[in-house]
Amino acid sequence: MKMSSKNLLFHLVILLLAGACKKDENPAAELQDGKSTVILDLAGDTEAAMSENTPGKVKRPFNIFLFRFKDQKQIWIRNAADSAKYLKTSEWDIAFTGPYNSEIYVNDKSYPYNPGYGGAAESAVVLLHQAYERVVMAPADSEFDNSDITKIGWAASESSGGWFFYSLSSHIMQAIPNRTYVLRLPDGKYAKLQLLNAYKGNPPSVTDLNWPAPYLTFRYYVQQDGSRNLSATD
Amino acid sequence: MIFMLTILAQIPSTGQTRGGLKGLVLDDQGKTLPGATVGLEPDRHLMETDQRGEFIFSKIYTGIYTVSVSMIGYKTFTGKISISPGTVTNLKLKLERGESELDEVVISGTRSATGNLLKAERSAMPLTVISRRTIELMGSRRLDEVLKEQTGVSIVSNIGGGARSVGLQMQGFGSEYIMILIDGQPMVGRNSGNFDLSRISVSNIERIEIIKGASSCLFGSDALGGAVNIITRHGATQPQGLAAFNYGSLNITDASLEGETPFLSQRGSAGISANYYRTDGFNTNPRYIQSGTTAPPYDNYALQGRFRYRLSKNSSLNLGARYGLRKSFMAKDFGLGIISGDSQDEKDLNLSASLDHSFRPGLRSMSRYYFTYFSSDQSVAWQQSNTVVSGDIFKQRLHRFEQQFAYAAGRQLKLTGGLGGSLETMNDASLTDAGTLSTFFSYVQGDWQLSKKLGAMGGLRYDRNNSYGSSVNPGFGMQYQVNTRLSIKAGAGTGFKAPDFRTMYLVFYNPAANYLVVGNEVLAETLEELQEGGQISEIRQYLLGQLGGNLKAERSTSFNTGMVWQPASAVKLEAGLFYHRLRNQINSVQVATGSNNRNIYTYQNLPRAVNKGIDVSLVLSPVKDLEVSAGYQYLEAKDLSIQDSIHAGNWPYNQNIHDPETGSSYTPKPSDYWGIENRSRHMFNLRAFYFYRPWNINLNIRANYRGKYPFGDRNGNQFIDRYDTFVSGYFLVNAALEKKFFNQHLSLRLTADNLMNYTDMLMPGQPGRVILAGITYRIYRD
Repeated sequence: MKMSSKNLLFHLVILLLAGACKKDENPAAELQDGKSTVILDLAGDTEAAMSENTPGKVKRPFNIFLFRFKDQKQIWIRNAADSAKYLKTSEWDIAFTGPYNSEIYVNDKSYPYNPGYGGAAESAVVLLHQAYERVVMAPADSEFDNSDITKIGWAASESSGGWFFYSLSSHIMQAIPNRTYVLRLPDGKYAKLQLLNAYKGNPPSVTDLNWPAPYLTFRYYVQQDGSRNLSATD
Repeated sequence: MIFMLTILAQIPSTGQTRGGLKGLVLDDQGKTLPGATVGLEPDRHLMETDQRGEFIFSKIYTGIYTVSVSMIGYKTFTGKISISPGTVTNLKLKLERGESELDEVVISGTRSATGNLLKAERSAMPLTVISRRTIELMGSRRLDEVLKEQTGVSIVSNIGGGARSVGLQMQGFGSEYIMILIDGQPMVGRNSGNFDLSRISVSNIERIEIIKGASSCLFGSDALGGAVNIITRHGATQPQGLAAFNYGSLNITDASLEGETPFLSQRGSAGISANYYRTDGFNTNPRYIQSGTTAPPYDNYALQGRFRYRLSKNSSLNLGARYGLRKSFMAKDFGLGIISGDSQDEKDLNLSASLDHSFRPGLRSMSRYYFTYFSSDQSVAWQQSNTVVSGDIFKQRLHRFEQQFAYAAGRQLKLTGGLGGSLETMNDASLTDAGTLSTFFSYVQGDWQLSKKLGAMGGLRYDRNNSYGSSVNPGFGMQYQVNTRLSIKAGAGTGFKAPDFRTMYLVFYNPAANYLVVGNEVLAETLEELQEGGQISEIRQYLLGQLGGNLKAERSTSFNTGMVWQPASAVKLEAGLFYHRLRNQINSVQVATGSNNRNIYTYQNLPRAVNKGIDVSLVLSPVKDLEVSAGYQYLEAKDLSIQDSIHAGNWPYNQNIHDPETGSSYTPKPSDYWGIENRSRHMFNLRAFYFYRPWNINLNIRANYRGKYPFGDRNGNQFIDRYDTFVSGYFLVNAALEKKFFNQHLSLRLTADNLMNYTDMLMPGQPGRVILAGITYRIYRD
């Protein structure tokens, strides 16, 4: 029974070192690149539903919300007073409208169906069929001026400018990979945006149509120096 | 517990009111034992045996003392000795191998100096005692550091307490359910239900008693989960002093100065102690918080005084005062160019007076008055714009009076009873409705020694609360000594806890972890106000519909059973089972999400929660001078009503479980429910205390493991399942080293906490590696 105390201590230390390492369980880790802002699970209008008898929800139009890149402010538009106060201003950069807040608009006063119609801001957006990390340069102004993208939502086909496919049989929104939107903001700065998911927890794909939604996951990077350089890695 | 004690010749000495005590300590082999700690109570004069195994206390006042001799790896010896005037009593004693923790110090016939007639050992629930020597050897400086290394006790960052306060969790109960007492008197200052244990320095602590399980019978409605009774040092019969200084990582500075002395020929004694502690704080989230800390920096000043005076042969007066001040400021930069400044000043004052009278042998009375004042001034300001985001001045005052009687009816039966009342006022700048709380209580407890082997205890307590009515709580227990090696204990009790002002009315913002807690009564209007101000991202309407006022009081029933087995002198095993059933447990729940991902919580009643589990601890001394102990707790804390709802398919529990990693969904089963937030299934600790004889050094290494625990519901199905956010399980390793010089007057200490430098951003209060060096000098006449 002569176990030396040195031995005991040694075994103890080994055991503890083994348990001391910890894996990083941060779910957004792969999306982070150090410069982009990653928004995870931003709640949309989770009370509204498209049909009757959706448990926990009410069949009514979805309230829209506006989003500001600078400080990640979410502004809800629930009634006429909110509309009057915010829509026609430059207080917001993108708007999430439509069913499950899945239809995104950039703040542009010139397009009639844009929430910012007749307002103060003029943005433009183009779609690049490239992965977000690979977009390093904003295209020329002519591309922006000629862009026909207005509402970014359900992509009926590959050639459409939307960000997700939707099947009328499964009723599931499936984000399309390798689509990055480049924005020219009213102040002349350029930004890139990727819309990732409308389902809570940013799952790769979903089969249950009662998966908690809408919880928007997206990421963006605004080039503050005004140049076209959109590389978000150091 | 008397071992080989031989009183040798009585040597005459000078002086008529004083005598002396000297002696020789031998180990179990009959060889001299240097380095053993000898203590005299009530003097608390500590000494260590020299190289020849000898010790001497000269010029001590006459009277009856309890002498205790302890050494790592040996059973602590306690015995009574009488010191006569003009003589030096000589002792020779032999220690037996075994566990060295001071168990129950049985003092019969002498004055009990703890200021409380209710004996915690007599509680029906399991009791753990941490002695002063253990605290010294561990090198711990604040109360939370000592407590978190005990089996089944963890320190948690609870919702509503902020990054500053650390709360206790025992057997699945959160800190709101655990009463903290000093010498039997409750401490107030529970900001948001959490009691900030890091406020309390251990420099004046004699002993800590931890009772697990419903102790409402002994201590009233705040003790559903148990109680921690901190017993402070009591009167000296010799003048003595202490100066200590520690410094290390995070610029932690800890300095203490203490002194105590008897006066008027031992009719009275007075003591005073002062402590200064400061720390820089620590950042566990460097990725998102560019500059600033998550574990707060603070300066803490504490001053304490104790006075005892013997009014007559049969009565004595005890006065105590304790003042603490904590100032702290935390600046945090989230990297957005917006810096928040968070400051908190806490003042803490406790005054107590008690009168102890012995009417005749067997009948004692103690009357106590206690006043405590706690004030906390918190404000959070966004530094750029200098606007105040949340300001909170919280003041709490408590007056408490208690009258206790202890009656010994023959040798078999002891009765303790008492009654009292308290008046508590709380005013808080952010509380919409300040108020007062008055309570009345009375209790009786009986202790029967039914036979030599069997003891029973029974008690009853009546509490009356001005807003929640009254409640009667019984408790009983049994202790059975099966044989000299094995004893069994079993107990049951009930508890009751009324919701406090904070859970009902307070709106509280914690900037460190970016969440808001809203009291139930003001929930609807607060959410509306926030929504008007554009501060809301989402409201969970289903939950909101269910809540809204009328938080019910919680009731619990506890069962505890345990055994202590000592198969050999060097091995001791303790094991226990616990089962707590709570009706209407108040738990925090996320009811909305604010802008910038701020979680908004409120409180709800969990209809039928159960905390159950086992805890085991083993102490053994495999070789000379080494003591190893290990402890393990298994806990399951679940709300049974959730399990039933899943089983019955009630909405929302019939929704599919979603796995965000894969996108798969499936129907939940009751077994998919993991349990209540913040409770770990497994907790484990391992400790080794070693005395390295060649260098005369005491060293110890302690490791604590806390298993993973749920942080919050991530996939939105209203209960915790395996896909939700969990804080990973982790190890914390601490070590300390101590060497004494100059005939035990001077001691040098090196302490290392969190050797593995483990931190996690979900644990904002846990600093990384902290190394401290310290020096302590004891002043007394040899």
